[in-house]
Amino acid sequence: MSTEAKAALREFRWHMPANWWTRNRHYFLYVVREFTALPLALWLLWLLVEIKRAGDGPTRYAPHESTAFVVFSVIVLLFALYHSYTFLSLTGVIIRLKVFDRPVPPRLITLAMFGAWAGASVVIGFVLIWFAR
Amino acid sequence: MSEEVQHRMAHTHLIFWFLFSLGGVIAALLIPVHVLIQGILGPLHYVLVVDRHYDTWVQVLGNPLVKLYLLVLIAVPFYHFAHRLRYLLVDFGVHAAKSVPAQVVFYGGAVVMTFVTIWVLLTTVPIKLG
Amino acid sequence: MPDKKVTIHATRYDPDKDEKPRLQAYEVPFYDESMVVLDALNWIKSNADGSLSYRWSCRMGICGSCGMMVNGTPKLTCNAFVRDYYPRPILVEPLNNFPVIRDLVIDMDDFMHKLKAIQPWIIRKQEMPLGAGEHRQTNEQIDDFRQFSQCINCMLCYAACPVYGLNDEFLGPAATALARRYNLDSRDQGLKQRLPVLADPEGVWECSFVGECSVVCPKGVDPAKAIQQTKLDTTMRFVLPYGNRE
Repeated sequence: MSTEAKAALREFRWHMPANWWTRNRHYFLYVVREFTALPLALWLLWLLVEIKRAGDGPTRYAPHESTAFVVFSVIVLLFALYHSYTFLSLTGVIIRLKVFDRPVPPRLITLAMFGAWAGASVVIGFVLIWFAR
Repeated sequence: MSEEVQHRMAHTHLIFWFLFSLGGVIAALLIPVHVLIQGILGPLHYVLVVDRHYDTWVQVLGNPLVKLYLLVLIAVPFYHFAHRLRYLLVDFGVHAAKSVPAQVVFYGGAVVMTFVTIWVLLTTVPIKLG
Repeated sequence: MPDKKVTIHATRYDPDKDEKPRLQAYEVPFYDESMVVLDALNWIKSNADGSLSYRWSCRMGICGSCGMMVNGTPKLTCNAFVRDYYPRPILVEPLNNFPVIRDLVIDMDDFMHKLKAIQPWIIRKQEMPLGAGEHRQTNEQIDDFRQFSQCINCMLCYAACPVYGLNDEFLGPAATALARRYNLDSRDQGLKQRLPVLADPEGVWECSFVGECSVVCPKGVDPAKAIQQTKLDTTMRFVLPYGNRE
């Protein structure tokens, strides 16, 4: 065994503590950001069930409106907004665009993403409400 | 990492990341308004929403463009969720979540969701043109 | 100035005697408002305990050797002012996520291997003869990579990275930022050599964009950005038609 390898054995190895993500506010917010995937997935599964139930026929179809469902949706909305806010903010960091050989400022890209979010929300909201008449 | 490590392009990881990003953008742009209107404002009767009544809900679901839209809205974000939840497990020290079987379970699950969504969209309400 | 004292809790670890690292407290005179944590360590070594081991060199944020955890955050100790912590005690520990050799000294071999693996120098397919003159660059071309070239290899970003803390196979922030610095350089032609390292299963894909590397960087480098941009560029090379061209 080389002297280097012997020295390495005497080193104190690093072990990540299991609660590492509670030790720093940024780490915690990161874990919350990643966790948004779970409530969003559950809500989309609900939407799929709502679509499936349209096959039940006119007499048996009754839309969800229990308090529990509304509370669930409110919680999901908070996570959904946090996902949208973080994901769209970070796209400005990632996307590199050049127009006429000049880099587009990241803030402008982020602004465009938030604009697209607002635009899409208005169109979808319009369709969901307009065709209910 | 030692000097002898052989490096290689990870094409599967590249595809996972691409689908993760795509699903993330779609989830970010589209999901909040659905949750707000279909999950909160509709059930509380603040506004009339298409899924509140059988007739309007079926009418909308019969439209092929709506079917295509719902496929994108529901199926693609699951690749994003699969990726995030797999890495969240890694973050919590579950090293097995990095393994190939775990990749098959998580991303395979997203593929299954895509087929389930297609099946639901095609079998519940027949496509009506016009 | 009255005799103000600041308490420094420093990690001590002697592999010959200690089972695991422990903390030792020192009372250090806070003699000057411009005093930094490194000054406090130097005072301890000169006046209280000559056996305290730590790395340092330039004292001006250039050499990148005095990085340690100060109250749990990776800092260059030459750049961490005692006045910002006083009168609270200051906890000085070796950088997180690395093996500890002794006291505040970590083993940086792993990072050195990674640094070498991304070949952080200009690679040309064909060296131009000296007689051909300089490789000219415009200011805009320099702006493409300038920020990433500020890295001083201090490893604070590795100490801040939970992904690296959980898995030391991960290529990590600084190495990727430096790879990007050369990949974005108009004089460089080494992308194809670096790509297998960057896009390795333990390369950029393992990053889940916690972003703390960019927060702690003392030189304003944004390694998180370098990693995400590398993911996007690499993906686009394969997803877009003709994306794989040189």
